[in-house]
Amino acid sequence: MGSPPLFFQWSSKALPWLAIISIIVFSIGMVWGIFYSPTDYKQGDVYRIIYIHVPSAILGQSILMFMAICGFITVVWRVKISGMLIKSAASIGASFTLIALITGSIWGKPTWGTWWVWDARLTSTLILFFIYTAIIGLHSSLDDKTKADRAISILSLVGIAIIPIIKKSVDWWYTLHQPSTFTLSSAPSMAPDMYQPLLVCVLGFYLIFAFLLTMNLRAEIVFREKNKTWVSKQYLNRQKNDK
Amino acid sequence: MKSDIYNWFFLILKRDLLIAFRRSSTYITPLIFFLIVVSFFPLALSPDQDFLRSLAPGVIWIAALLSSLLAVETIFSEDFKDGTLDEFFVTNEPSFVLVFAKVLCHWLITGLPILLASAISSIILYLPASSFLPMICSLILGTFFMSLLGAMGAALSLGRSAILSSIIVLPFSIPTLLMGTAVVSSAINNQDYSGFLLIMGAMLAIGIPGLCLLTVEAILLNYE
Repeated sequence: MGSPPLFFQWSSKALPWLAIISIIVFSIGMVWGIFYSPTDYKQGDVYRIIYIHVPSAILGQSILMFMAICGFITVVWRVKISGMLIKSAASIGASFTLIALITGSIWGKPTWGTWWVWDARLTSTLILFFIYTAIIGLHSSLDDKTKADRAISILSLVGIAIIPIIKKSVDWWYTLHQPSTFTLSSAPSMAPDMYQPLLVCVLGFYLIFAFLLTMNLRAEIVFREKNKTWVSKQYLNRQKNDK
Repeated sequence: MKSDIYNWFFLILKRDLLIAFRRSSTYITPLIFFLIVVSFFPLALSPDQDFLRSLAPGVIWIAALLSSLLAVETIFSEDFKDGTLDEFFVTNEPSFVLVFAKVLCHWLITGLPILLASAISSIILYLPASSFLPMICSLILGTFFMSLLGAMGAALSLGRSAILSSIIVLPFSIPTLLMGTAVVSSAINNQDYSGFLLIMGAMLAIGIPGLCLLTVEAILLNYE
Protein backbone atom coordinates (compact mmCIF):
# COMPACT_ATOMS: atom_id res chain seq x y z
CA MET A 1 0.00 0.00 0.00
CA GLY A 2 2.96 2.31 0.50
CA SER A 3 3.79 2.44 -3.17
CA PRO A 4 1.81 5.05 -5.12
CA PRO A 5 1.00 2.88 -8.17
CA LEU A 6 -0.22 -0.01 -5.98
CA PHE A 7 -2.36 2.32 -3.90
CA PHE A 8 -3.81 3.77 -7.10
CA GLN A 9 -4.79 0.31 -8.42
CA TRP A 10 -6.26 -0.74 -5.09
CA SER A 11 -8.22 2.47 -4.65
CA SER A 12 -9.64 2.27 -8.17
CA LYS A 13 -11.39 -0.91 -7.11
CA ALA A 14 -12.31 0.25 -3.60
CA LEU A 15 -13.50 3.75 -4.48
CA PRO A 16 -17.06 2.91 -5.71
CA TRP A 17 -17.75 0.91 -2.52
CA LEU A 18 -16.33 3.66 -0.32
CA ALA A 19 -18.44 6.25 -2.16
CA ILE A 20 -21.65 4.24 -1.76
CA ILE A 21 -21.13 3.42 1.92
CA SER A 22 -20.13 6.95 2.86
CA ILE A 23 -23.03 8.58 1.01
CA ILE A 24 -25.53 6.14 2.55
CA VAL A 25 -24.33 6.60 6.15
CA PHE A 26 -24.02 10.36 5.68
CA SER A 27 -27.54 10.64 4.28
CA ILE A 28 -29.06 8.44 7.00
CA GLY A 29 -27.41 10.55 9.70
CA MET A 30 -28.40 13.89 8.20
CA VAL A 31 -31.99 12.99 7.36
CA TRP A 32 -32.54 11.31 10.72
CA GLY A 33 -31.00 14.22 12.59
CA ILE A 34 -32.48 17.12 10.69
CA PHE A 35 -35.98 15.77 10.09
CA TYR A 36 -36.70 13.06 12.65
CA SER A 37 -35.05 14.11 15.90
CA PRO A 38 -37.20 15.69 18.64
CA THR A 39 -37.51 19.47 19.02
CA ASP A 40 -35.44 21.01 21.81
CA TYR A 41 -37.55 22.60 24.55
CA LYS A 42 -35.27 25.64 24.89
CA GLN A 43 -33.87 26.29 21.43
CA GLY A 44 -36.66 24.97 19.23
CA ASP A 45 -35.64 23.71 15.83
CA VAL A 46 -32.57 25.90 15.37
CA TYR A 47 -30.45 23.39 17.32
CA ARG A 48 -30.61 20.98 14.35
CA ILE A 49 -27.53 22.69 12.92
CA ILE A 50 -25.70 20.65 15.55
CA TYR A 51 -25.75 17.74 13.10
CA ILE A 52 -23.47 19.70 10.77
CA HIS A 53 -21.56 21.80 13.31
CA VAL A 54 -20.36 19.11 15.74
CA PRO A 55 -19.19 16.52 13.17
CA SER A 56 -17.31 19.22 11.20
CA ALA A 57 -15.56 20.41 14.34
CA ILE A 58 -14.64 16.85 15.38
CA LEU A 59 -13.32 16.13 11.88
CA GLY A 60 -11.35 19.40 11.77
CA GLN A 61 -9.41 18.39 14.88
CA SER A 62 -9.07 14.70 13.98
CA ILE A 63 -7.69 15.53 10.55
CA LEU A 64 -4.88 17.59 12.10
CA MET A 65 -4.03 14.65 14.37
CA PHE A 66 -4.06 12.38 11.32
CA MET A 67 -1.75 14.79 9.52
CA ALA A 68 0.62 14.87 12.48
CA ILE A 69 0.83 11.05 12.54
CA CYS A 70 1.47 10.97 8.78
CA GLY A 71 4.02 13.74 9.29
CA PHE A 72 5.86 11.69 11.85
CA ILE A 73 5.92 8.68 9.48
CA THR A 74 7.16 10.89 6.62
CA VAL A 75 9.97 12.47 8.63
CA VAL A 76 11.16 9.28 10.33
CA TRP A 77 10.72 6.62 7.61
CA ARG A 78 10.67 8.83 4.48
CA VAL A 79 7.54 7.12 3.12
CA LYS A 80 6.40 9.03 0.02
CA ILE A 81 2.72 8.25 0.29
CA SER A 82 2.31 9.52 3.83
CA GLY A 83 3.74 12.84 2.65
CA MET A 84 1.12 13.01 -0.11
CA LEU A 85 -1.56 12.10 2.46
CA ILE A 86 -0.77 15.21 4.51
CA LYS A 87 -1.16 17.46 1.51
CA SER A 88 -4.38 15.76 0.43
CA ALA A 89 -5.88 15.97 3.91
CA ALA A 90 -4.92 19.60 4.57
CA SER A 91 -7.52 21.25 2.34
CA ILE A 92 -10.25 18.91 3.57
CA GLY A 93 -9.39 19.70 7.18
CA ALA A 94 -9.37 23.43 6.49
CA SER A 95 -12.81 23.17 4.84
CA PHE A 96 -14.32 21.24 7.75
CA THR A 97 -12.91 23.73 10.27
CA LEU A 98 -14.32 26.61 8.23
CA ILE A 99 -17.73 24.89 8.06
CA ALA A 100 -17.63 24.42 11.84
CA LEU A 101 -16.81 28.10 12.38
CA ILE A 102 -19.52 29.35 9.98
CA THR A 103 -22.27 26.98 11.19
CA GLY A 104 -21.29 27.87 14.75
CA SER A 105 -21.78 31.58 13.97
CA ILE A 106 -25.13 30.87 12.34
CA TRP A 107 -26.19 28.86 15.40
CA GLY A 108 -24.87 31.50 17.78
CA LYS A 109 -26.84 34.41 16.36
CA PRO A 110 -30.36 33.26 17.40
CA THR A 111 -29.27 31.47 20.58
CA TRP A 112 -26.51 33.67 22.05
CA GLY A 113 -27.46 36.88 20.26
CA THR A 114 -24.08 37.35 18.64
CA TRP A 115 -22.29 36.13 15.50
CA TRP A 116 -18.97 35.83 17.29
CA VAL A 117 -17.47 35.98 20.76
CA TRP A 118 -13.79 35.77 21.63
CA ASP A 119 -14.08 32.86 24.03
CA ALA A 120 -11.59 30.02 24.37
CA ARG A 121 -13.13 27.40 22.07
CA LEU A 122 -14.03 29.72 19.18
CA THR A 123 -10.66 31.46 19.31
CA SER A 124 -8.68 28.22 19.43
CA THR A 125 -10.73 26.80 16.51
CA LEU A 126 -9.91 29.97 14.58
CA ILE A 127 -6.23 29.33 15.38
CA LEU A 128 -6.70 25.78 14.08
CA PHE A 129 -7.94 27.27 10.81
CA PHE A 130 -4.89 29.54 10.61
CA ILE A 131 -2.62 26.54 11.19
CA TYR A 132 -4.30 24.75 8.26
CA THR A 133 -3.84 27.78 6.01
CA ALA A 134 -0.18 28.08 7.08
CA ILE A 135 0.36 24.42 6.14
CA ILE A 136 -1.39 24.79 2.76
CA GLY A 137 0.49 28.05 2.06
CA LEU A 138 3.88 26.56 2.91
CA HIS A 139 3.29 23.54 0.66
CA SER A 140 2.26 25.66 -2.30
CA SER A 141 5.26 27.98 -1.89
CA LEU A 142 7.85 25.22 -2.32
CA ASP A 143 8.47 23.95 -5.83
CA ASP A 144 10.13 20.65 -4.96
CA LYS A 145 7.11 18.72 -3.76
CA THR A 146 9.05 16.02 -1.88
CA LYS A 147 10.74 18.78 0.09
CA ALA A 148 7.38 20.49 0.55
CA ASP A 149 5.92 17.27 2.01
CA ARG A 150 8.63 17.13 4.64
CA ALA A 151 8.22 20.81 5.44
CA ILE A 152 4.49 20.41 6.14
CA SER A 153 5.19 17.25 8.15
CA ILE A 154 7.25 19.44 10.46
CA LEU A 155 4.51 22.07 10.65
CA SER A 156 1.76 19.57 11.43
CA LEU A 157 3.88 18.02 14.18
CA VAL A 158 4.12 21.47 15.80
CA GLY A 159 0.46 22.22 15.12
CA ILE A 160 -0.66 19.17 17.06
CA ALA A 161 -0.10 21.25 20.20
CA ILE A 162 -3.29 23.27 19.54
CA ILE A 163 -5.56 20.21 19.76
CA PRO A 164 -5.45 19.64 23.53
CA ILE A 165 -5.94 23.39 24.00
CA ILE A 166 -9.14 23.29 21.92
CA LYS A 167 -10.47 20.19 23.60
CA LYS A 168 -9.76 21.30 27.13
CA SER A 169 -10.42 25.03 26.66
CA VAL A 170 -14.08 24.67 27.60
CA ASP A 171 -13.07 22.90 30.82
CA TRP A 172 -10.23 25.22 31.80
CA TRP A 173 -11.91 28.57 31.20
CA TYR A 174 -15.44 29.71 31.75
CA THR A 175 -16.72 30.20 28.23
CA LEU A 176 -19.92 30.94 26.41
CA HIS A 177 -19.55 27.71 24.42
CA GLN A 178 -21.03 24.72 26.23
CA PRO A 179 -18.80 21.98 27.68
CA SER A 180 -18.32 18.64 25.96
CA THR A 181 -21.40 16.46 25.72
CA PHE A 182 -19.52 13.25 25.13
CA THR A 183 -16.86 12.19 27.60
CA LEU A 184 -15.23 8.82 28.12
CA SER A 185 -16.27 8.58 31.75
CA SER A 186 -19.92 9.58 32.04
CA ALA A 187 -23.21 9.27 30.17
CA PRO A 188 -23.96 11.97 27.60
CA SER A 189 -25.94 14.94 28.80
CA MET A 190 -28.17 14.90 25.72
CA ALA A 191 -31.34 12.88 25.22
CA PRO A 192 -30.75 9.56 23.40
CA ASP A 193 -33.12 10.61 20.62
CA MET A 194 -30.80 13.51 19.91
CA TYR A 195 -27.35 12.04 20.28
CA GLN A 196 -27.96 8.81 18.36
CA PRO A 197 -28.36 10.60 15.01
CA LEU A 198 -25.39 12.77 16.04
CA LEU A 199 -23.18 9.69 16.38
CA VAL A 200 -24.35 8.44 12.98
CA CYS A 201 -23.57 11.87 11.51
CA VAL A 202 -20.08 11.81 12.98
CA LEU A 203 -19.50 8.37 11.45
CA GLY A 204 -20.91 9.61 8.14
CA PHE A 205 -18.58 12.61 8.17
CA TYR A 206 -15.58 10.35 8.86
CA LEU A 207 -16.55 8.15 5.90
CA ILE A 208 -17.00 11.20 3.66
CA PHE A 209 -13.53 12.34 4.75
CA ALA A 210 -12.10 8.94 3.79
CA PHE A 211 -13.79 9.20 0.40
CA LEU A 212 -12.60 12.76 -0.26
CA LEU A 213 -9.11 11.89 0.97
CA THR A 214 -8.89 8.95 -1.42
CA MET A 215 -9.99 11.13 -4.33
CA ASN A 216 -7.50 13.87 -3.42
CA LEU A 217 -4.71 11.34 -2.94
CA ARG A 218 -5.36 9.75 -6.31
CA ALA A 219 -5.21 13.13 -8.00
CA GLU A 220 -2.02 13.98 -6.12
CA ILE A 221 -0.39 10.65 -7.08
CA VAL A 222 -1.19 11.10 -10.77
CA PHE A 223 0.11 14.68 -10.65
CA ARG A 224 3.38 13.73 -8.97
CA GLU A 225 4.01 10.66 -11.12
CA LYS A 226 2.79 12.09 -14.39
CA ASN A 227 6.08 11.36 -16.14
CA LYS A 228 6.10 7.70 -15.18
CA THR A 229 5.02 4.97 -17.60
CA TRP A 230 2.44 3.44 -15.31
CA VAL A 231 0.35 6.61 -15.49
CA SER A 232 0.29 6.69 -19.28
CA LYS A 233 -0.38 2.93 -19.36
CA GLN A 234 -3.26 3.40 -16.93
CA TYR A 235 -4.90 6.06 -19.01
CA LEU A 236 -3.93 4.70 -22.42
CA ASN A 237 -5.46 1.35 -21.47
CA ARG A 238 -8.70 3.01 -20.47
CA GLN A 239 -8.87 4.92 -23.69
CA LYS A 240 -8.30 1.73 -25.64
CA ASN A 241 -11.12 -0.02 -23.78
CA ASP A 242 -13.47 2.90 -24.24
CA LYS A 243 -12.96 2.78 -27.96
CA MET B 1 33.36 13.23 24.59
CA LYS B 2 31.43 15.63 26.79
CA SER B 3 33.97 18.42 26.55
CA ASP B 4 33.75 18.31 22.74
CA ILE B 5 30.05 19.11 22.76
CA TYR B 6 30.59 22.03 25.15
CA ASN B 7 33.46 23.30 22.98
CA TRP B 8 31.26 23.09 19.90
CA PHE B 9 28.36 24.83 21.66
CA PHE B 10 30.48 27.70 22.93
CA LEU B 11 32.25 28.02 19.60
CA ILE B 12 28.98 28.59 17.76
CA LEU B 13 27.63 30.82 20.52
CA LYS B 14 30.71 33.01 20.63
CA ARG B 15 30.86 33.25 16.85
CA ASP B 16 27.24 34.28 16.46
CA LEU B 17 27.39 36.78 19.34
CA LEU B 18 30.53 38.31 17.82
CA ILE B 19 28.86 38.67 14.42
CA ALA B 20 25.73 40.11 16.01
CA PHE B 21 27.62 42.65 18.13
CA ARG B 22 29.59 43.97 15.17
CA ARG B 23 26.41 45.63 13.98
CA SER B 24 24.78 47.53 16.81
CA SER B 25 21.49 47.62 14.95
CA THR B 26 21.03 43.90 15.67
CA TYR B 27 20.34 44.41 19.35
CA ILE B 28 19.14 48.01 19.31
CA THR B 29 16.37 47.43 16.75
CA PRO B 30 14.22 45.11 18.93
CA LEU B 31 14.44 47.61 21.79
CA ILE B 32 13.43 50.63 19.71
CA PHE B 33 10.78 48.73 17.75
CA PHE B 34 9.20 47.56 21.02
CA LEU B 35 9.03 51.09 22.39
CA ILE B 36 7.58 52.45 19.15
CA VAL B 37 4.85 49.79 19.02
CA VAL B 38 3.99 50.39 22.68
CA SER B 39 3.81 54.16 22.08
CA PHE B 40 1.33 53.72 19.26
CA PHE B 41 -1.37 52.36 21.56
CA PRO B 42 -1.82 55.43 23.75
CA LEU B 43 -1.53 57.61 20.64
CA ALA B 44 -4.10 55.67 18.63
CA LEU B 45 -6.53 54.76 21.39
CA SER B 46 -6.58 56.82 24.56
CA PRO B 47 -3.93 58.08 27.02
CA ASP B 48 -6.26 57.54 29.96
CA GLN B 49 -4.43 55.93 32.90
CA ASP B 50 -6.98 53.29 33.84
CA PHE B 51 -7.57 52.38 30.22
CA LEU B 52 -3.85 51.89 29.56
CA ARG B 53 -3.43 49.92 32.77
CA SER B 54 -6.10 47.46 31.62
CA LEU B 55 -4.50 47.19 28.19
CA ALA B 56 -0.92 46.98 29.41
CA PRO B 57 -0.41 43.16 29.61
CA GLY B 58 -1.68 42.63 26.08
CA VAL B 59 0.16 45.58 24.58
CA ILE B 60 3.48 44.56 26.10
CA TRP B 61 3.06 40.97 24.95
CA ILE B 62 2.02 41.86 21.40
CA ALA B 63 5.03 44.17 21.12
CA ALA B 64 7.27 41.37 22.48
CA LEU B 65 5.97 38.87 19.90
CA LEU B 66 6.45 41.22 16.98
CA SER B 67 9.88 42.42 18.11
CA SER B 68 11.22 38.92 18.63
CA LEU B 69 10.29 38.01 15.06
CA LEU B 70 12.23 40.93 13.58
CA ALA B 71 15.73 39.49 13.52
CA VAL B 72 14.65 35.94 12.84
CA GLU B 73 15.55 35.60 9.16
CA THR B 74 19.18 36.32 9.84
CA ILE B 75 19.58 33.29 12.13
CA PHE B 76 20.35 30.95 9.23
CA SER B 77 20.16 32.92 6.01
CA GLU B 78 23.59 34.55 6.05
CA ASP B 79 25.34 31.31 6.94
CA PHE B 80 23.28 29.48 4.33
CA LYS B 81 24.16 31.96 1.58
CA ASP B 82 27.91 31.93 2.07
CA GLY B 83 28.16 28.20 2.67
CA THR B 84 29.12 28.22 6.34
CA LEU B 85 26.00 26.24 7.21
CA ASP B 86 27.13 23.49 4.82
CA GLU B 87 30.46 23.38 6.65
CA PHE B 88 28.71 23.07 9.99
CA PHE B 89 26.68 20.10 8.78
CA VAL B 90 29.65 18.42 7.12
CA THR B 91 31.50 18.20 10.43
CA ASN B 92 30.34 15.33 12.60
CA GLU B 93 29.31 17.59 15.44
CA PRO B 94 25.69 17.35 16.65
CA SER B 95 23.49 19.71 14.63
CA PHE B 96 20.97 19.93 17.47
CA VAL B 97 23.60 21.73 19.54
CA LEU B 98 24.29 24.07 16.61
CA VAL B 99 20.62 25.05 16.36
CA PHE B 100 20.29 25.49 20.13
CA ALA B 101 23.38 27.69 20.24
CA LYS B 102 21.97 29.87 17.45
CA VAL B 103 18.59 30.10 19.19
CA LEU B 104 20.28 31.08 22.45
CA CYS B 105 22.29 33.75 20.65
CA HIS B 106 19.13 35.08 19.02
CA TRP B 107 17.44 35.21 22.40
CA LEU B 108 20.39 37.04 23.96
CA ILE B 109 20.33 39.72 21.28
CA THR B 110 16.54 40.14 21.05
CA GLY B 111 15.06 38.79 24.30
CA LEU B 112 17.24 40.80 26.67
CA PRO B 113 16.60 44.14 24.90
CA ILE B 114 12.90 43.23 24.96
CA LEU B 115 13.09 42.71 28.73
CA LEU B 116 14.67 46.14 29.12
CA ALA B 117 12.07 47.72 26.84
CA SER B 118 9.25 46.03 28.73
CA ALA B 119 10.57 47.44 31.99
CA ILE B 120 10.40 50.94 30.48
CA SER B 121 6.98 50.22 28.96
CA SER B 122 5.54 49.01 32.24
CA ILE B 123 6.21 52.47 33.65
CA ILE B 124 4.75 54.39 30.73
CA LEU B 125 1.69 52.12 30.62
CA TYR B 126 1.06 52.59 34.36
CA LEU B 127 1.49 48.91 35.19
CA PRO B 128 1.40 48.41 39.00
CA ALA B 129 4.76 47.57 40.54
CA SER B 130 3.55 44.26 41.99
CA SER B 131 3.19 42.80 38.52
CA PHE B 132 6.68 43.79 37.38
CA LEU B 133 8.46 40.60 38.46
CA PRO B 134 5.81 38.18 37.06
CA MET B 135 5.89 40.13 33.79
CA ILE B 136 9.66 39.76 33.52
CA CYS B 137 9.47 36.03 34.33
CA SER B 138 6.77 35.42 31.74
CA LEU B 139 8.67 37.43 29.14
CA ILE B 140 11.87 35.46 29.75
CA LEU B 141 10.04 32.16 29.17
CA GLY B 142 7.91 33.53 26.34
CA THR B 143 10.60 35.26 24.31
CA PHE B 144 12.79 32.17 24.45
CA PHE B 145 9.91 30.10 23.09
CA MET B 146 9.44 32.75 20.39
CA SER B 147 13.10 32.47 19.43
CA LEU B 148 12.64 28.70 19.11
CA LEU B 149 9.55 29.12 16.93
CA GLY B 150 11.22 31.87 14.93
CA ALA B 151 14.22 29.65 14.23
CA MET B 152 11.93 26.91 12.96
CA GLY B 153 10.05 29.39 10.77
CA ALA B 154 13.34 30.77 9.43
CA ALA B 155 14.56 27.25 8.64
CA LEU B 156 11.32 26.39 6.82
CA SER B 157 11.43 29.53 4.71
CA LEU B 158 15.20 29.51 4.12
CA GLY B 159 15.93 31.23 0.84
CA ARG B 160 12.41 32.55 0.48
CA SER B 161 10.54 35.66 1.61
CA ALA B 162 10.64 36.66 5.24
CA ILE B 163 6.90 37.33 5.50
CA LEU B 164 6.18 33.65 4.94
CA SER B 165 8.09 32.73 8.08
CA SER B 166 6.06 35.24 10.10
CA ILE B 167 2.78 33.80 8.81
CA ILE B 168 3.97 30.32 9.72
CA VAL B 169 5.21 31.27 13.17
CA LEU B 170 2.53 33.66 14.47
CA PRO B 171 -0.41 31.19 14.77
CA PHE B 172 1.77 28.86 16.84
CA SER B 173 2.77 31.67 19.17
CA ILE B 174 -0.81 32.28 20.29
CA PRO B 175 -0.68 29.84 23.26
CA THR B 176 2.44 31.69 24.51
CA LEU B 177 0.59 34.99 24.12
CA LEU B 178 -2.44 33.69 26.05
CA MET B 179 -0.36 32.31 28.91
CA GLY B 180 1.88 35.36 29.12
CA THR B 181 -0.95 37.86 29.29
CA ALA B 182 -2.72 35.61 31.82
CA VAL B 183 0.35 35.81 34.07
CA VAL B 184 0.46 39.60 34.00
CA SER B 185 -3.32 40.04 34.29
CA SER B 186 -3.62 37.76 37.30
CA ALA B 187 -0.62 39.46 38.91
CA ILE B 188 -2.42 42.81 38.54
CA ASN B 189 -5.50 41.31 40.24
CA ASN B 190 -3.33 39.78 43.02
CA GLN B 191 -4.31 36.24 42.01
CA ASP B 192 -2.07 33.24 41.85
CA TYR B 193 -0.12 33.29 38.59
CA SER B 194 2.25 30.38 39.20
CA GLY B 195 0.14 27.89 37.21
CA PHE B 196 0.52 29.89 34.03
CA LEU B 197 4.28 30.22 34.53
CA LEU B 198 4.51 26.47 35.03
CA ILE B 199 2.63 25.85 31.78
CA MET B 200 5.00 28.21 29.96
CA GLY B 201 7.93 26.35 31.46
CA ALA B 202 6.40 23.06 30.31
CA MET B 203 6.05 24.44 26.79
CA LEU B 204 9.74 25.32 26.88
CA ALA B 205 10.61 21.86 28.22
CA ILE B 206 8.87 20.20 25.29
CA GLY B 207 9.82 22.95 22.87
CA ILE B 208 13.57 23.00 23.28
CA PRO B 209 14.21 19.40 22.23
CA GLY B 210 11.22 19.14 19.89
CA LEU B 211 11.56 22.41 18.00
CA CYS B 212 15.37 22.21 17.76
CA LEU B 213 15.13 18.72 16.24
CA LEU B 214 12.41 19.85 13.83
CA THR B 215 14.52 22.89 12.89
CA VAL B 216 17.45 20.61 12.05
CA GLU B 217 15.09 18.55 9.85
CA ALA B 218 13.84 21.72 8.17
CA ILE B 219 17.37 22.96 7.40
CA LEU B 220 18.35 19.55 6.02
CA LEU B 221 15.43 19.85 3.57
CA ASN B 222 17.54 22.38 1.67
CA TYR B 223 20.41 19.96 1.25
CA GLU B 224 18.77 17.25 -0.80
